[in-house]
Amino acid sequence: MPSPGCIAPRPEKKDCMTILTRLEQWKERGIISSEQHTLLAGLSRSEPFSLFLELNILLYAGILAFVGGLGWTVSTWSQQLGDVLVLTILSAMLAACFWYCFSRAPAWSPRETSSPGLVLDYVLYLGSLIWSVELAYVENRFHLLSGQWDLYLLATAGLFFFLAYRFDNRFVLSLALSSLAGWFGLTVSHWPSHQDAAYRRYAILYSLMTGGAGAILQRRGLKPHFFGTYLNIAANVLFWALLSGVFNREGYVVWLLCLLAACGASLAWGIKRRQFSFVAYAAVYGYVGVSAILVRDMSDGTAILSYFFVTGIAMLVLIVQIARRFGREA
Amino acid sequence: MRAYSASSEEAVRARDLLKDWAGENFLTAAQYQRMEQETVCDSRRTNIFLRLVLFLFTLIIVGAAVALFFVVFLSNPGQRTTGVFLLIFAVLSYAGAELAVSQARLYRYGIEEALAACSVGFLCVGTQGAFFSGHRFAQDGAEFLVPAAGAISSLWIWHRFGLPYASLAAMIFVLWLPGYWTSSHPAQHSIVAAFYAVGLSIVAAVRPRHRSTYLNDRYSIAEALLWLGIYVAINLQLSSVNLLGQWWGGPRTTAAEFTRPFYWATWVLIWCLPPIVLARGVRRKDRFVIAAGAIAAILTLVTNKSYLDWQRHTWDPVLLGALLIGVALFIRRWLAAGPGQIRHGFTAQRLSGKDKQWMSVGSTALGLISPNVITPSPQAGSPDVRFGGGDSGGGGATSDF
Repeated sequence: MPSPGCIAPRPEKKDCMTILTRLEQWKERGIISSEQHTLLAGLSRSEPFSLFLELNILLYAGILAFVGGLGWTVSTWSQQLGDVLVLTILSAMLAACFWYCFSRAPAWSPRETSSPGLVLDYVLYLGSLIWSVELAYVENRFHLLSGQWDLYLLATAGLFFFLAYRFDNRFVLSLALSSLAGWFGLTVSHWPSHQDAAYRRYAILYSLMTGGAGAILQRRGLKPHFFGTYLNIAANVLFWALLSGVFNREGYVVWLLCLLAACGASLAWGIKRRQFSFVAYAAVYGYVGVSAILVRDMSDGTAILSYFFVTGIAMLVLIVQIARRFGREA
Repeated sequence: MRAYSASSEEAVRARDLLKDWAGENFLTAAQYQRMEQETVCDSRRTNIFLRLVLFLFTLIIVGAAVALFFVVFLSNPGQRTTGVFLLIFAVLSYAGAELAVSQARLYRYGIEEALAACSVGFLCVGTQGAFFSGHRFAQDGAEFLVPAAGAISSLWIWHRFGLPYASLAAMIFVLWLPGYWTSSHPAQHSIVAAFYAVGLSIVAAVRPRHRSTYLNDRYSIAEALLWLGIYVAINLQLSSVNLLGQWWGGPRTTAAEFTRPFYWATWVLIWCLPPIVLARGVRRKDRFVIAAGAIAAILTLVTNKSYLDWQRHTWDPVLLGALLIGVALFIRRWLAAGPGQIRHGFTAQRLSGKDKQWMSVGSTALGLISPNVITPSPQAGSPDVRFGGGDSGGGGATSDF
């Protein structure tokens, strides 16, 4: 039965079936059972309608607003409220969050574990953010580790890694990775000179460390589904660091070679594992790096535009070939 | 009228749904394989990452080709000449997009999308250059034709190629229109809202016919964007011309800029609209419209104090956050308490693999962003000392705390 949506009077009209019509036919031909038909037809009609994603977004936005406001309030009114009151409130909230998580969480498993409910993940995330607010407050008021700010970040990263692995939580894993990156950044900021070069080296070290650690943990079967998060973050930090070296006026050849090697590895990984974000990284970062070298000494507008025209077509052809051979699935 | 046949679109939709259901184990591997074979379509598709890269490189090629043409063949062309050639390039780009679809059978492939986007851009800049730069038409008050051409061509591309963001582009072009007709701010807001309302009524009238077809999602996105557009147009705290200034601590929009009845009418409307949109979205089980209603509701709460010129407090975000968390938890509990965890056809359970994918990508990205977002910047003249010192940080423990 043609659907009302098939309005174009085309030769293929007989094939124009909505998913409901197809499901009906598959049921009649015995490809799916009646129960499956009922379920799938319902799902395609949004019956029942899942609010899973919406509730998650609402919780995330709520926690972000809550902790943002908490930090703002604490930093603005700390003298009026007094340190004791502020720390008591923050500690009580922190304790409540962690108590909730540890008391409700299922037994730990090295494999992927589904959360017992929507709430646990967000309570853990809330607790982690409150921990950060409290730690920052303590240091800024009492200067316990003045001059060694980075140690807080390292300790925080350690705690977040533990929590992420204990509760199988990607939000907190991302917090851990960003805290670790912050520790690397702050450590370098203590160095007196050659800031850019030092940052670059530490960024590369960070990306190699996180990528390597992610790979080792995956091989050992410790939450192997986290590996994608490690690898994406490590790849982006690495590419940015290498690109910053390529943009240097001197000594850029080594960085260019490293960038090309990284692009090759990213491309091979992306194609082999069908993770096309890595193909995209290789194409975009590689193109920017190589173009920066080739175009920097060109002064003729025609030559520059010709370069972009020709290389753009070459890249397009290459990506289309990759898409046709490997990346057909949408 | 549409670039893709209805059967192709339905086949694409069926394949996506089958993949999703197989991922959720609603279908066995054997069932999936057999059913997938029956939904073969001739369109060429690719994944989102390669699509984005192809879009980018097509833009580079088209941009470079057009610039090269002007550099090589025209030395110091006048604005009119430039405009005429850009109009020609607009036609060529559009023809390229049509060819990519009809000959290469590209579907959401990045290439045809970039060509279509370029055609709209060239059309607008070309129209401006050819007809309104230093010419007599500029004094005729016909310059509104530039954004009008952009809006109409974007709408055509939305209709022809089904690109959801083309409808957003059309709405953005509409924003420029009233500026050519009147200098009155209330009139400008009203005209924009009226345009969106007309669009909304057309979409609402057409949608019911396509409830169970591939077009439902397309109309759903368009309707949600139009609701949001109307909301932003009537919320004077959001759509003020001085919006950027306000965000950076400049003077807020006040009732003095508008007539009092208009100002307070919009205040009433920003409270009335979110429940209407939410109710419509819930009644129709329309994900995008529900999202539009929820965003509008949150924006109303955020901008209400500015509207009333009340003092903002540092704990306002805490209250907002607590409210959002409370609402989410209440809805979840209420749904979970229903038979089979379903109430009135709604559930809090995850039913689609796409949701899991979104959560996975979102949690990684948002987890990295959130520490920076929540870091507060102290208010000027705050009664407390300002913390400071370090440079950066993660996990929210920034040195600018």
